[in-house]
Amino acid sequence: MTLSIANLKAGYGKTEVLHDVSVPDIKGGAFVGLIGPNASGKSTLFKTLAGLVTPTAGSITIGGDDVTLLRRKDRAIRVAYMPQAYGCNALLSVFESVLLALKQTTGWRVEAENLDRVSDTLSALGLSHLADRGIADLSGGQAQMVAVAQTIVRAPEVILLDEPTSALDLHHQLSILTSIRNEMDCKKPVVMAALHDLNLAAKFCDRLVLLCEGTILADGPPQHILALPEIGWTYRVETDLEQTRRGVFYVDARLTG
Amino acid sequence: MTIDVNPAKMRRAYVTQVSRRYGMIALVSGLLALSFFLDVATGPGKYELSIVFDVLTDPMSHGVRLKVIVWDYRLPVAITAALVGALLAVAGAQMQTILNNPLAEPFTLGVSAAASFGASLAIVLGVSVIPAVGPLLVTMNAFVFALFTCGFILLATRLKGVGSETMILFGIAIFFTFSALLALMQYMASEDQIARIVFWMMGSLSRASWEKITLGALLLAIAIPFSLLRTWPMTALRMGEATAESMGVDVGRLRVEMLICISLLAATAVSFVGTVGFVGLVGPHIARMLVGEDQRFFVPLSALVGALVLSLTSLISKSITPGIIYPIGIITSLIGVPVFISIILSTRKERLS
Ligand SMILES: Nc1ncnc2c1ncn2[C@@H]1O[C@H](COP(=O)(O)OP(=O)(O)OP(=O)(O)O)[C@@H](O)[C@H]1O
Ligand SMILES: [Mg+2]
Repeated sequence: MTLSIANLKAGYGKTEVLHDVSVPDIKGGAFVGLIGPNASGKSTLFKTLAGLVTPTAGSITIGGDDVTLLRRKDRAIRVAYMPQAYGCNALLSVFESVLLALKQTTGWRVEAENLDRVSDTLSALGLSHLADRGIADLSGGQAQMVAVAQTIVRAPEVILLDEPTSALDLHHQLSILTSIRNEMDCKKPVVMAALHDLNLAAKFCDRLVLLCEGTILADGPPQHILALPEIGWTYRVETDLEQTRRGVFYVDARLTG
Repeated sequence: MTIDVNPAKMRRAYVTQVSRRYGMIALVSGLLALSFFLDVATGPGKYELSIVFDVLTDPMSHGVRLKVIVWDYRLPVAITAALVGALLAVAGAQMQTILNNPLAEPFTLGVSAAASFGASLAIVLGVSVIPAVGPLLVTMNAFVFALFTCGFILLATRLKGVGSETMILFGIAIFFTFSALLALMQYMASEDQIARIVFWMMGSLSRASWEKITLGALLLAIAIPFSLLRTWPMTALRMGEATAESMGVDVGRLRVEMLICISLLAATAVSFVGTVGFVGLVGPHIARMLVGEDQRFFVPLSALVGALVLSLTSLISKSITPGIIYPIGIITSLIGVPVFISIILSTRKERLS
């Protein structure tokens, strides 16, 4: 199974945000980091992939099938998307909120296997202690992790995570991304995550895509992409790619001038 | 340090919670049956409960007189009370979900007022918005105005910057507009027509009939499966519009479908008994506190609590002063306003924290 994005154009009304975006040949089991400054079009690309924004040109294929032709529900079975904004005031428990995400693409009746799937997902993400808490009373980081759980519980072919770690502390940034990697080991979905933390991107991603003003500036392995001069000028900082004694890459950044 | 709960335990906790909810539904059903029976047993003529029960199970067991009293007078009233309560509460529950507003219900959004105006238009001027409806003129007018108002509400939610509270202000605007128009109708009306309009404005069960009951039951029989089929998308909508869409819910379409369903329920309910405020608020509010917002339980329980509330109201309306039946709309408002205020206060607190 391969996700391919070719010559995609999309936007809101008359304003085009994505200009000719192509990300070819994303293999199942790959963790792709989507990086780029604010307003570069990361969320718009995800919304377009998930079918919330209709592209004006180009194609999105999963395993050769054009997903833009699928009905919304069939598409949701194959592509799960965690939006950047989440959180709500509903009177639902964490368990119920993850169950309802699963039930959108499975039958009406709650089967035993659905309950297994929900509890396994919560356990895998280290959220089991929150299962019977109300979602309205979660902390920002907890709510974000539940949103991740709502996305991966559906075990789709493509998982799109719009900034899954932006509200998390150091421990949870690492634990969530590690759990996602572990989940990927068996089912081999494509995971695309928009990330602002380039060091996390360097640590967890197999491939980085750099988006700037709606166009792809670079696409390749992290240590290659993060060493490019484009990183410095798109983010308007000076950067150096360093390596620790353990061999981990990290980006040392400071303001220009 | 957080303590991990093992998956089996988590699952068991959920299953227990679900059976508790079924228990809740059974309990409220039981209370409803009790209140319904007491409602039938209460009235100007005093009869032993056991006699009333006999007549209910076997109409002719105590003679024609009792059969007529129970089956032709009291039963239609008691059933209408429960049925209309259920219709209003389901309409309120669904409105609250699709508008993301715990204060939304047919009355607060001005749908009842619009229906009243539609009815008064038919009563006073004989004006029909749909030609050739004959005896259904008043009901049809009320229905069309309710539908029109729901459509307007749907459009208003699409406008930019219309938040939860703004919706209620819209409702108040609609309410005032139709109240003014209703006052105009009353000004133009004859004495007999005024009496019929007042029936609308205060809500009364006195015009209950088996035909109306059949129609209302039929509608509920369609609306409940219709909403049950959409329970998962509707529950997803409680997670917020963006999240629901990301889960594959066609939010725009769901809204339109549900609003059509709601308009039907609300319009039918008000066309049967006139304006009965706050049942659509109290029913869902209690249901939400009892079972949360999984729509599989929330919608049926809202219906049951709504039915129970209006059934009790009917009972109270007959019991305050023997021989006098007070308009139910007055009683539901007296019960509903404190609930309305407490919801406002609790949502304010949420926003502050
Ligand atoms: N709903 C919308 N309607 C109109 N324009 C929008 C909408 N959402 C985003 N935009 C515009 O599209 C552009 C790209 O926004 P997008 O949300 O895709 O950026 P992003 O890369 O996700 O940014 P961030 O890192 O801040 O999340 C921005 O200029 C933004 O103003
Ligand atoms: Mg974004």
